[in-house]
Amino acid sequence: MTVFTPSFVAPAPAVPYPANVYQPHLVTIEAVRDEAPEVRTLRLKFNDPAVAEKFSFVTGQFGEYSVFGAGEVTFCIASSPTRKGYLECTFRAVGKVTRAMRDLQVGDVMGFRGPYGNRFPIDQWFGKSVLFIAGGIALPPVRSVIWNVLDLRDKFKDVTIVYGARTVADLVYKHELEEWAARKDVKLVTTVDPGGETPDWRGEIGFVPTVVEKLAPPSADTYAVLCGPPIMIKFTLPTLAKLGFPDERVFTTLENRMKCGIGKCGRCNVGPVYVCKDGPVFTAAQLKLLPAEY
Amino acid sequence: MSTTAPITKANLANLVARLVAGGARVVAPVRKTDGLRYREVTDGAEIVLEPRGLPDMSLKAVVFPPTEPLTSYERKGRDVALTAPPLIFQPTVVLGSRPCDAAGLEILDRVMNWDLRDELWFGRRRATTIVSLACAGPADRSCFCTAVGLAPDATRGSDALLVPVNGGFVLEAVTDAGEALVKGNHDLFGVPAQADAEVRQQARQAVAANLSLDPPAVQAWLSAHFEDPLWDPIALRCHGCGACASVCPTCHCFDVVDEPEDLAHGTRRRNWDTCQAAKFTLHASGHNPRADQNVRFRQRVMHKFEIYPERFGQVLCTGCGRCSRTCPGGQDLPEILAAIQARVGGAA
Repeated sequence: MTVFTPSFVAPAPAVPYPANVYQPHLVTIEAVRDEAPEVRTLRLKFNDPAVAEKFSFVTGQFGEYSVFGAGEVTFCIASSPTRKGYLECTFRAVGKVTRAMRDLQVGDVMGFRGPYGNRFPIDQWFGKSVLFIAGGIALPPVRSVIWNVLDLRDKFKDVTIVYGARTVADLVYKHELEEWAARKDVKLVTTVDPGGETPDWRGEIGFVPTVVEKLAPPSADTYAVLCGPPIMIKFTLPTLAKLGFPDERVFTTLENRMKCGIGKCGRCNVGPVYVCKDGPVFTAAQLKLLPAEY
Repeated sequence: MSTTAPITKANLANLVARLVAGGARVVAPVRKTDGLRYREVTDGAEIVLEPRGLPDMSLKAVVFPPTEPLTSYERKGRDVALTAPPLIFQPTVVLGSRPCDAAGLEILDRVMNWDLRDELWFGRRRATTIVSLACAGPADRSCFCTAVGLAPDATRGSDALLVPVNGGFVLEAVTDAGEALVKGNHDLFGVPAQADAEVRQQARQAVAANLSLDPPAVQAWLSAHFEDPLWDPIALRCHGCGACASVCPTCHCFDVVDEPEDLAHGTRRRNWDTCQAAKFTLHASGHNPRADQNVRFRQRVMHKFEIYPERFGQVLCTGCGRCSRTCPGGQDLPEILAAIQARVGGAA
């Protein structure tokens, strides 16, 4: 195994990290939106006006969100850095902290530490096409990149989004899916697993790798962003390879369990990398150098 | 040239009294029913300076407590107020650290300073002066510090080293803090002297007889053998209890949890954790990247002898042998390392 240095290092954030690096910023919930059963988006605003004004991050970075009394939880920032003044996170209520987050309301105060990790190097994709592929609850980290790209739309060629979920109800960001479907400069393909469709479903029916293969997006001059459950990644990577995508142009973000987020606590270590420091964004070429412990 | 000065046992006790009177916390090995343990002392007579006595826990708790507050919260209606722990730490002098334990702290400085500096760690590091006691030889057959680049009289991580001589000790200053300790208490020390170099050499040879390793070769083997039959039976002895990580001078994995005290108040803490626990890597989805004990044990060996050396240029092990002594299942790290060394063709 060889150490690879973080390929896409994020710039230092405008708001410096506190002397006690574990001290969170306080944030207030500005808006709550239900996306799917048990899936919710929170829009957060920093309580300290100086932090709110200066806070910066780049797409692909993550943070440690906390409910005081329940603990901290790790998510990629789901909003785009082009949308200033707030952060969004989208989560499924499955554990102690996410269930506590689901129980919060507009006006409640939470904690946020970050931004941490590297980035999707979208500036290196200027002038090229981008193919987004996401499954289920993995759309939120990809959504940050999608809006970042769409907010700089004239810098990219074709933008294609393939998004699948188990059932129609499980599709997240339904309003934004409609928005992307209506745009002439975006090609959106949505799919649900067989049996997950409703009578009025007009999207595809089938698993994501199959739908990608059928769609056969051109690989020339195209970067792919792939994020989903491990089983989806496993079967979509060979499909992309078959379509001619070199591993260096396929990007994903790993979701290892983390605690500190800053390379100290040892939890997200996989072979030679710490996902929190060297990632969470990796290319498929880098993934192949890692032991399968993610 | 560093200062070397002899000190009698009586004057060592006087030194403790003086340090305590000056407001310092003095930590030293003391005798408990089941062995030696590092404890805060106020009386020099409590200190047990046995040149072959290894406390059962490492020194890491002095700098990295098993549990410590990261922030405290108070709910006021829907609002929250946070109180960060003050980054002010009591000056601490460790008297009689084992050289391996002092080295462990220095090895961990690298990860604690990786881009983002952990000031809870470094605040205590700066406040702590470590006087190690040179070992006269291995505590038992589990000691292998010489196999990982250390020695029974290693000074890495120590500010000063006490070397036993007839009737007392010679104190060798290693760092400015060590020099200051000698200079500030010069009346307790005798004229500069040297410890017997031959005795120290014999101690090194005695430890080296336990295990001989070529760490770079071990690292290279591990790098190429993530999948290997060696790992299959390795966890048969492992209960996943994490005792090895608890006693280890360099295991530093931690958990971050909130501990509510009542409806309005609570503390976010970090607690020692271990990669040997099944839940350590468990995802919310139920997926566990390291689902079996053998791959968790492989992670422990890999992190110490392959991953950390590759990242930080240091083996994450001081050869103290505590993991072997403590393991209820008889897991023996020196034995595993010897097996790996045998695969790469004998020791260097």
